[in-house]
Amino acid sequence: MKTYLIALTSITYAMKAQKILKSMGYYCEIQRTPKNFSTGCGYSIRVKGDLSEYLMILKDNNIKYLNTMEMGADFG
Amino acid sequence: MLTLVNFDNAATTFPKPYSVKNSVDTAFTKFGGNPGRSGHILSLNTAKAVYSTREACADFFGAEPENVVFTLNCTHALNLAIKGIMSDGGHIITSDLEHNSVIRPIYALSKKDCAYSLAHVEADDNKTVSNFEELINSNTKAIVCTLASNVTGQILPIKKIAEVCHKHNICFILDGAQGCGILPLKLSDGVNIICTAGHKGLYGPSGTGLLITDGNFSIPSLIEGGTGSSSLELDQPDFLPDSLESGTVNTMGILGLGAGVKFVSDNTVQKIFAHEDKLCRQFISGLSNVPNVIIYRNPSCKYVPIVSFNIKGLIANETAQILSDNGFCLRGGLHCSGLAHKSLGTAPDGTVRFAPSIFNNEIQTNSLILLIKKICQKY
Repeated sequence: MKTYLIALTSITYAMKAQKILKSMGYYCEIQRTPKNFSTGCGYSIRVKGDLSEYLMILKDNNIKYLNTMEMGADFG
Repeated sequence: MLTLVNFDNAATTFPKPYSVKNSVDTAFTKFGGNPGRSGHILSLNTAKAVYSTREACADFFGAEPENVVFTLNCTHALNLAIKGIMSDGGHIITSDLEHNSVIRPIYALSKKDCAYSLAHVEADDNKTVSNFEELINSNTKAIVCTLASNVTGQILPIKKIAEVCHKHNICFILDGAQGCGILPLKLSDGVNIICTAGHKGLYGPSGTGLLITDGNFSIPSLIEGGTGSSSLELDQPDFLPDSLESGTVNTMGILGLGAGVKFVSDNTVQKIFAHEDKLCRQFISGLSNVPNVIIYRNPSCKYVPIVSFNIKGLIANETAQILSDNGFCLRGGLHCSGLAHKSLGTAPDGTVRFAPSIFNNEIQTNSLILLIKKICQKY
């Protein structure tokens, strides 16, 4: 199963996204957004599985995402 | 030693629920990270706790969590809202019963590029609403008013004022300091921006306040700085709550506020209002036959549980001092609402304000009535 990072605008949106996704049974962990992945400090959610499903849920809940990235083995 | 009874809960509620104290204690011992600034466990756990309060406040007022902004107090929230909405100038309308937290920011703006008008609040709600609507002109951007007067407790017809605002497509900002936690209030009542204190009817610690918006009117920032987001950009983030929440938040206060909101939700605003209103009616009834006592209430009006009064022959602060000397804490004077006292005809000396909380009882109220009767016999 592939793991992705979805960069969000702020910790508040990361918390909101995690709460919604977990309540729907999805895997979702919050981490600091890695360097070169956003315009400075920020938070991302780490998700597993079908990225498009996650992005659709975020859109349905008016949660804007900045970027997405497939994670390599180094990110665990 | 004198036992103190606090009837000054309109200024700040005291005592606080035990759960609030516990929550603040837990914040000190467990949630010591800086929320939204790091990725380590302490920071993330603290952010999660802060978000829980944001969510609880959002549920309480029918908002989205990201549209809940933590502030220092209601005055801070009102300054953000009023000065933000009026940042490009224009005309704003407020009532003649406002606290200085509303009228002073407006007056400061009037020295620059804003004009303002005062709508007279009457006993007849329909006349009050008409007074507001008649003042609207092509430059009017907002109406801001109190949910309930902090001097007399008179409740303003906010749903009808909201309808006027929507009809004219102007922003409705509400000062909820004296009504939140006592009256049911949601954004769906038509308010665009609710500003309120965390430390009054919501039973949170001092140093907490809330700005809650429906997001329909953009509020430019007054204070810029670190937000833990978009840090390479020189521009302040344009998304809430970060746009209005620069600098480290008051974690201990916010977590205490979360417990306060839960306390109010569990007890329900209806039960809290009923309890406090009962004490107000007891107070008024107990003093109704005392000729030297003036009570500032009109039978035609609706009130939150606040009663303003005076004893003939004493100025308000003298009365409050005598009550304090006997263990009863009530606020005398102008209550930071010179405008309201001028409108009511009680300036420059003001009134004494009886403001019970959920923690006051009939025995305390009766003791206060007896003391006031004794004072009246003496003066």
